[in-house]
Parts: sequence; C-alpha cells; structure tokens
Amino acid sequence: MTDATDQLAGELGDLLAEITGRAELRGIEPATPLLRGGAGLDSLAGTLLLRQVQRRYGVDVAAEDLNLDALETLGTLAAFIAARI
Amino acid sequence: MSPRGGAEGALIKCVVWDIDNTLLDGIYLESDQQPPPADKVLLGVLRELAGRGILQAVASRNPPAAGEYVQRLAGLELAAVECGWDAKPAAIRRIAASLDVPTDSMAFVDDDMVERAEVAAVLPGVLVLTPEEAAEAAGWPQFSPPVLTAEARRRGELYANRGRRQAAAHDFGGTRAEFLRQVGTRVSIARATAADVPRLHELSVRTHQLNSAGQPVAEAELAGLLTSAGHQVTTVRLADDFGDDGLVGAAILTGSAGGHSPGPAATVPLVMMSCRALGRGALDALLAWLCRAAAAAGATELTVPCRVTDRNVPFRLALAAAGFRAEPGATGPDGRALFSRPLAGELPPLPDFVVALS
Repeated sequence: MTDATDQLAGELGDLLAEITGRAELRGIEPATPLLRGGAGLDSLAGTLLLRQVQRRYGVDVAAEDLNLDALETLGTLAAFIAARI
Repeated sequence: MSPRGGAEGALIKCVVWDIDNTLLDGIYLESDQQPPPADKVLLGVLRELAGRGILQAVASRNPPAAGEYVQRLAGLELAAVECGWDAKPAAIRRIAASLDVPTDSMAFVDDDMVERAEVAAVLPGVLVLTPEEAAEAAGWPQFSPPVLTAEARRRGELYANRGRRQAAAHDFGGTRAEFLRQVGTRVSIARATAADVPRLHELSVRTHQLNSAGQPVAEAELAGLLTSAGHQVTTVRLADDFGDDGLVGAAILTGSAGGHSPGPAATVPLVMMSCRALGRGALDALLAWLCRAAAAAGATELTVPCRVTDRNVPFRLALAAAGFRAEPGATGPDGRALFSRPLAGELPPLPDFVVALS
C-alpha cells in the first residue's frame, strides 16, 4: 500500500466516524472488514459513505463496481479510489 | 393562474407549507398577546392530505415555537419542521434530505410571491402553489394516491418517529447492531395474507432504494401469487420503542423453495422494502431468512435478480453484506443482474430480534 493510499484510508476512516457518529472508527485498521463484522457498516452507512466518496473524490464506486468489492475493507476502498484520481 | 413547476401529474409525496399568512391567519411574530388563529381552510387541506399519506412539513422564517404552535393547531405531528431565517429553497432541500423525498415530488405553498418565485427558480421540480390553489389541491390527481393503506395514513407520524430515532442513533455511540437491540427493534417475518395485498402493491410502487425489480406489481397479480403453489410471498413488519412501522417489506420466493417442484436453484423475483426500514436491520434479516427458507426446502443456491440503478445502491450493499455476488455482464432475460449465493456452509446471521412465523 502506498503512502497516498494510506493517507486516503485515514481520511476514509474519518468520514466513516462522522457518518456513523462512532469516534473509534477514526483509527480503524485498513484491513478491517467493512460490511460484515469488523466496522459493522450497514447499507445505510455504506450508502452515505459512497455518496461522500463521490462528492469528495469524484469516484462513483457503485457505478463501477457491481459487487461493491471495493467495500471489503477501508484499504480496498482507498486503493479503488487512489487508482481513479 | 395555474401552478408552476412539478412533473406533470406526478404524485406529490410531501407538501411544505409556509406559516405566516398561509397556515396562520396573520403573522406569528407580530401578534401581541396570542398567536394568530389558523387559516381553517388550509389547515383542513393539510389534515386531509396527511390522511392520504402525503407528508406535511413547514418551512418558515420564524422561531421554532411557531412550528410547534402550528403542530398543536393541526392536531397531528408534522413530518418535518424548518423554522429559521434561511432561504426557502435551502429549507426545502433539508426537508427533502431528512425525509428522503425527491424535490420533484414535493409541493410548496406560500402567500409571498417572492418566496414562490425563488423556490420555482432554484428548485424547478417543486410544485409551487398559492394558498388559493392549495385550497383546491385536495381535488387534484397529484394529491390523490390510488391506494390508501393504514401505513400510508400514518406516514407523517412514522417519519416523525424516524427523526427521534435518528437523533437517538446519533447520540448512541455503539455499533448499529447494539443500537437496534437497545431500542427494542422487532422484525416479524410472516406469510402474506390477502389483507396485505394493497400494502404490497403500494410498496411495489413507492420503493426504489430497496427494490430489486424496479417496477410496480398489480394487486391482481399479487393476489394470484398468494394462492400460487409455486410462490411464497413473505412480509416483514418492523417496530421498536419509537413506534410501530407496520408492514415495511416483502419478498417473493420461487423455484424449489417456493413450491412443489424440487430442484437445487431457488429464485427471489422480488424484494422490496420501505426506505424507513433502511439501517434498521430489516432487509438484512429478510435476506438471511430467505437463505434459510430456500435451504430448508432443499435448494443449494439462491438467486436474487436485481435491476441495477443509481438509486438502489443500498439494496446492493445489503446483497453484498449477505454474501450475494453477480457476474458482471451476465444478466437474466429482463436485463437484471443475477446476484446469487451458495446455501451450503455458513448462512448470513439472523439476529435474535427477528421473529419468523412459519
């Protein structure tokens, strides 16, 4: 993982903490699963996260990733975005 | 003068009312002793439309007490109250966001020509009405939903509950699953009955974010499916300590799991759920239950064909969380992506707040 992707993962953790109101997600490990277990992201928080990602980075994850594999972990999401900006 | 804006004939889901000289017969802050009385005609229209399941909200340049006063006069809970000093388009946008209603299915009523012009210019999708026009609006097709269910009549109250629930969730701090338990979430899954048919039809018309098919299903067709040996129509009801949302979702299961034809592959031609249920565990519960029902009937794989749109991303997220995957480019005969998952091994978890009736 590059430094840029690392930094992006950090920003995404901040976003996630804002959306869910859970401050502890700020320091979340990039390898933590997002949807199942791990961060416990539900479809509401996931949708809000993708909306913010689109607004902030101009990357429409949902349009490009049918199975939303990018949401596996914070790290995969950061890499997906980094490859497109 | 004819009303401006709004999609031709589109059903209005939310009416945003001004207060001064519109819902009130006078100006709230300019009254000395007590606030001005209600405009009886318009308040009557507000109540009538609320009874038809159309959300009622106010946007007013007034202190919040003005909103509470109008609420007391109306004798019902408004779905959203925006009292402040902002421009009306900004207030309408916030109401649209909080209620999850697109602005092109909203109407705005204001006596002030300048306010009306600003809303019409900034939000061309909004149906902009004078108080005189609004007085007759109850007779217009845009304000006459074809079906009226118990859930629809209580829609304003349910959205107000949602506001309180969201505030509590924001202050909660723990995980979503912990929050759902904390507020006494109850998800009841049961076989659909004939009495559910109007609400099922309504859900098929109104749901977009959590809908796999993206097209309405007629009442007659739904009624036929209830008695079809090859189909199992299942309903989801949702309640918690904030209130009872009633019937919020449903699914149709067919193939080896739905009826008498044994076989390894089961299909769910329709999953639909009210956006009020979003983030409340009901859709995850339904998908987990569908996997179990199909597996119990001998299926080894479950497929959920899904029309992929930019609006039903939440539905795709729920599919992903439940372990469903689709082959990009491989679609069913109607162009839907075929999301499926094996039923061997570990199935998605069914939380303990789910009650499934056989």
